[in-house]
Amino acid sequence: MTVHTPIETRSGGIPRWALALTAFVFLVGGVYLASNLTGENPPFAMPGVTDAAPGNGDPDPAVGEALVAQAGCAACHGADLGGQAAFPTLLELEEGPISENLEGLAEEHPDEWVALWIDGTTPETEGIDRGGMPAFGNQYTRDQIDAMVAYLRGL
Amino acid sequence: MTVNPKKLRPYDEPPKRRRTLIPDAPDTAAIGFLVAAALWFVVATGIGAIAIGLRLVQFELSYPLGIFGLSFELDQRRVDAAFVNASVFGWLSNAGFAAVAFMTPRLLGRRTVGEKLLNVGLAIWNLSLAGGIAALYVFDLGVNAALTAMPWFVDGGLATGALVVTGVFLATAGAAVRGAYISVWFAGVALLALLGLTSLSAGLGLFETFFGLDELPSALASVFIERAIIVLWLLGMAYATLHYVVPRAAGQPLASGGLGLLTWLTWLVLGPASALVVLMDASVPFFVTTAGAVATMLLLLPASLAVANLAITMSGRWSLLFRTGTAAFAAIALAFLLAHSLLDAIAALRSVHTGVGGTDWELGALVWALYGTFTMTALALADHAAPRMLRRATGAGTLGNAQLWLAFGGATFAGLALMAGGMAEGALRAQGVAPDGIRDGVMAYRAAALAGFGLVALAALALLGHLFVTYTSGEPADYAVPGQTSAAAAGH
Repeated sequence: MTVHTPIETRSGGIPRWALALTAFVFLVGGVYLASNLTGENPPFAMPGVTDAAPGNGDPDPAVGEALVAQAGCAACHGADLGGQAAFPTLLELEEGPISENLEGLAEEHPDEWVALWIDGTTPETEGIDRGGMPAFGNQYTRDQIDAMVAYLRGL
Repeated sequence: MTVNPKKLRPYDEPPKRRRTLIPDAPDTAAIGFLVAAALWFVVATGIGAIAIGLRLVQFELSYPLGIFGLSFELDQRRVDAAFVNASVFGWLSNAGFAAVAFMTPRLLGRRTVGEKLLNVGLAIWNLSLAGGIAALYVFDLGVNAALTAMPWFVDGGLATGALVVTGVFLATAGAAVRGAYISVWFAGVALLALLGLTSLSAGLGLFETFFGLDELPSALASVFIERAIIVLWLLGMAYATLHYVVPRAAGQPLASGGLGLLTWLTWLVLGPASALVVLMDASVPFFVTTAGAVATMLLLLPASLAVANLAITMSGRWSLLFRTGTAAFAAIALAFLLAHSLLDAIAALRSVHTGVGGTDWELGALVWALYGTFTMTALALADHAAPRMLRRATGAGTLGNAQLWLAFGGATFAGLALMAGGMAEGALRAQGVAPDGIRDGVMAYRAAALAGFGLVALAALALLGHLFVTYTSGEPADYAVPGQTSAAAAGH
């Protein structure tokens, strides 16, 4: 019969370095949490629900605001979305195309050119120089993009 | 006087050992759970290979069953759900139950109370799961995450199985749990969490069936339960098992009981909070999901503490890492534990989530967690426990080497390929590439992931073969059986 000893421990106390590390890590976490308390979550991506057909229901600008924040539009278009460097303003979408490369698109699709441009994966925008603008069509549903447009048009 | 055995009359013969329908000998339930785990390991890796294969070759099938208008549906989502369920509830949960059934009596120095009941729990759990996985291909999955996609009555069966195991654990541990070794504490919380979460899943499904429930709260509850099962049940059992097998393999005491306690406390606080990170919806207060993200990042702390404690425990016995055995499996599990905790922390950042959310990155990170950390831990347990449960002496041999290197190499490669593919997918999305173009762009990564996962599937076959060879060809060996002798009360 093989007799084994129970698992023993060399020391029972908590080492000081471990306590200090724990306190430090929780402190860093607390500071990060305190500096990120406000904001809005994007709409939940339902498991198993694919893109809804466009135009279902009225787009919600409040949802659009959260999505615009999440998509990081401000990184290029400025903190107030008023444009910076080569990136045009998003505050004048109601007045028409905001850059030359969008004039044709806006002429052919006057009602949905903004949504098509943000989407960027449809045939309508093929061949247009995007000038560094990402296409969000694979990331957001058409309803979500419509919500973004509703928010941007209301600025 | 010499006795001629041929002339023995019936009443001279020694009494025959009676076999009961439900075994009640020590370790029978632990053996049952380990064998069930090995079988599910083979099934799960097979389904996993198909799930990755379906990302390469798109294929869907619908075949009417001819009863109640039901049909057999095979598509990407259903195969993915079957893969996750077979991996988590089949392979890893059975291995977790085996660990509980093996460790508890040895750590507490007493025989399991209700070995028969534990065997009944084994049957309930596995029959429910087999039925549930079949149901995934027939019934509507709704808006549920993979681990809650099975019908409510299946979840009820799983909850019953978990209740039996938890009940037996608590009955065996009794009041002794207070001064018990840290693995018992980890296992206790993990079992209670599994019981609570499977019951919650069954209850929600039942409520939804009879009273209806809005899609959004149902989906949010579903993803919360899924995340909590991984962080509380699987991670808890990984900590319990690693804190048990490493000192045993090294033949040395645990370096610090206090560090073990601190690991347990930090995991206990951060684990449930980290499940909040998945409640990413406009209706959920922002600070709640941020708190979940912070807790997920901070889960690196208990992982680091456990790695430090167990590494110090191994000191002076490093040569054990260079030969196939429990120590090598455990060391790789600890490396994966750090890596997957780091990946979780990175993915909890909102900017990263925006870039790679919904891509193969998520599957790759899941493969590292399930088939890196938790699988290597389960293999460490199997390597240590199988000879003791089967009372056979066995060496590592070819099959042991195959398990170690195929599982390690395969999981590393498959996870890396999927995560790299996910990053490529995110980059292509940002460039506005059409879905077909994205699919072509990540094809090579997916093919590499399939090859890697194939190696893991071979490791599963190696484990099954190793258990079979150990039982049939291993030399009988004596190991202490708790509750059978006074010597065994010391544990083993």
